Amino acid sequence: MSSSGLRTSLRTRRWFSSLPPIEWLSLRLQEALIGALRQGPIPQHVAFVMDGNRRFARQSHIETTEGHNLGFEALAKILEICYKAGVKVVTIYAFSIENFKRSKYEVDALMDIAKIKLSQLSQHGDLLDRYGAKIRILGHRSLVNQEVLDAIDRATDLTKHNNKAILNVCFPYTSRDEITSAIQSIVALAAPPRPQRQHLETLAEENPETVRETSPQSRSESPASNTTSASTVVNGSPHTAPAPPREHIDFAGVRHSDILDLEDINEQTVTEHLFTADNPPLDLLIRTSGVERLSDFMLWQAHQDTDIEFVDCMWPEFDVWHFLPILLGWGLKRKRFLREVKLEEERKYNRNGNWMKGWETEDYSHAKKSL
Amino acid sequence: MSTRVVAPPIATSRKKEFEDPKARAAYVKKFLPTDDADDPSTPRTRSRSRPVRTFVKIGFYKLILWVLYSITSLYFRARFVYNFILNRWFSVLYYHHKTPELIQKDVKQLDRLPQHVSVILEFEKEGGVEQLIDHVAEISCWCASAGIPTLSVYEQTGTLKKYISTSHRITTQRLHSYFGKKRPTLRVLAPHLPSYTNGDTEGLPDGESPDLEVIFISSEDGRESIVDLTKTLCEMAIRGKMTKDEVTVEFIEAELESLTIPEPDLLILFSPSVKLLGYPPWQIRLTEIFHLPDNDAVGYQVFLRALYNYAKCEMRFGR
Repeated sequence: MSSSGLRTSLRTRRWFSSLPPIEWLSLRLQEALIGALRQGPIPQHVAFVMDGNRRFARQSHIETTEGHNLGFEALAKILEICYKAGVKVVTIYAFSIENFKRSKYEVDALMDIAKIKLSQLSQHGDLLDRYGAKIRILGHRSLVNQEVLDAIDRATDLTKHNNKAILNVCFPYTSRDEITSAIQSIVALAAPPRPQRQHLETLAEENPETVRETSPQSRSESPASNTTSASTVVNGSPHTAPAPPREHIDFAGVRHSDILDLEDINEQTVTEHLFTADNPPLDLLIRTSGVERLSDFMLWQAHQDTDIEFVDCMWPEFDVWHFLPILLGWGLKRKRFLREVKLEEERKYNRNGNWMKGWETEDYSHAKKSL
Repeated sequence: MSTRVVAPPIATSRKKEFEDPKARAAYVKKFLPTDDADDPSTPRTRSRSRPVRTFVKIGFYKLILWVLYSITSLYFRARFVYNFILNRWFSVLYYHHKTPELIQKDVKQLDRLPQHVSVILEFEKEGGVEQLIDHVAEISCWCASAGIPTLSVYEQTGTLKKYISTSHRITTQRLHSYFGKKRPTLRVLAPHLPSYTNGDTEGLPDGESPDLEVIFISSEDGRESIVDLTKTLCEMAIRGKMTKDEVTVEFIEAELESLTIPEPDLLILFSPSVKLLGYPPWQIRLTEIFHLPDNDAVGYQVFLRALYNYAKCEMRFGR
């Protein structure tokens, strides 16, 4: 009885909200709210764990795939709000590597949804195009089949000219896998795959300097390990050709021409080798469905200053009225923080004010004299 | 007869018009709305009215934002009051009275207990190290009473790591006041530092672990440990001892676990909102993160509610 009640209430709510005057009013209201939000601080990078599609489907007695579809609708709405409000990067957790453990039926259905929705999202004149957002897929490419890969490539290709915002879709993704592949690419950088012997000779004619540096190491190497080390540079990257000795192309397409020095490896290096290398730092992470876990998502990015919010509603139910208070709360916090920083700076200035002033004028007069 | 002759030329001319893209564009243009930029009359009126309109608009938006912020902060204040009263009520209802039996009774109905609990404590200038160690001692006692064998304490700056022996002494005293003479054995340790057992494990047979293990970690066990591991791996790769393909998730997990701490089951925050402050990123993959909104104190009720939440068990308002 309760389930049918839930369903009818859902239906009446939908019917009500689709009435033209109501729709018009709510659109106007949303526009005003978002316009207002733009005047305050806005997170630059927001991540979502879209959890609860299945549970929502079970609760309201609909097909699981239907639940995922509703989840996508919710995502489209939230994306629109984000981009309108001025969020630069949105990262969504679409599919975890762990999700491959689910039933084959559901995995296939999810892949189909992904294929359809990716092409839908990236169409001309659709959401991403309207807000100038480019789509990027973060994850382990080798785990998905060719059909889906084609859809991914098409979607990224269609939106690559957009440069106002970014939508990161974590497709088969786990954060540990991401960190591991970052470490892998750093290791590959520090100890680049050695060229094979016949290749070395041709290199010697072209560039004797490179060979002098690499040859002592390669001499001690056995030829068997040469072939293994000359495989793909980055896990999941499409570049399968063996890299030239002093050059390496990482997944972001950045060319590194120098071998990494061991002493130069720091936190920044790892950050730069993650999928989110060129994104602003993660400001806000939202997880729905009341589960209070990160579940292997954005571990490296979210463990410092990111505000993490756990929302107690299923993802298909997550809408403006859930999102707005979070954004406002974040804005308030950020405003308070900025005020504190400003006060601190002023205090510092006042403390140092007197002698700094004298020093400055003196310096200035010296400079004048020399002129 | 004559119409028959005339009709085809018209059709072909139309066809030509539609085949040639330029002609088609010209034809279609007649029906399109005129572009603002091309029209000489519109820009003048626009440039006159726009700044005022945008100014009014921005003022209007700022007003709305101010109203929204006021509402939000009012809401937060109301929530704070509500939560404050609720937390007080809980801390009165559930108090341990320094008796392990009471704590055991509180956790007896839980189906599952975390085996490794982690907490984040913050160094405060007023309380200083004494307060920090006091909190550690209290939480250790609760863990020992509830039967949780491992407790890791994260403190960002690493202050606690300098006071391992002091912490051990004070915690032992506190355990004594809880349990009396039959107090549980304790080991306090931190990664890369010698562990401190103070004679506690001397009586234990080899291989047997103490009843409670307290591990101090700080921000250097987070990103830094991963960076250090990367450096070591790079060095090994340069020497040719391993290739990058041998770097797998399992390998790094095993290495980091031995270098720092294993993945905790439950992370308890005593802060009003969820911010991880640099907690080791690799280790919080599936860790349940618990916090009480608007709570700012290190209290037994927070600990207990975290355990209840972990076991997915409802807590009763009145006992």
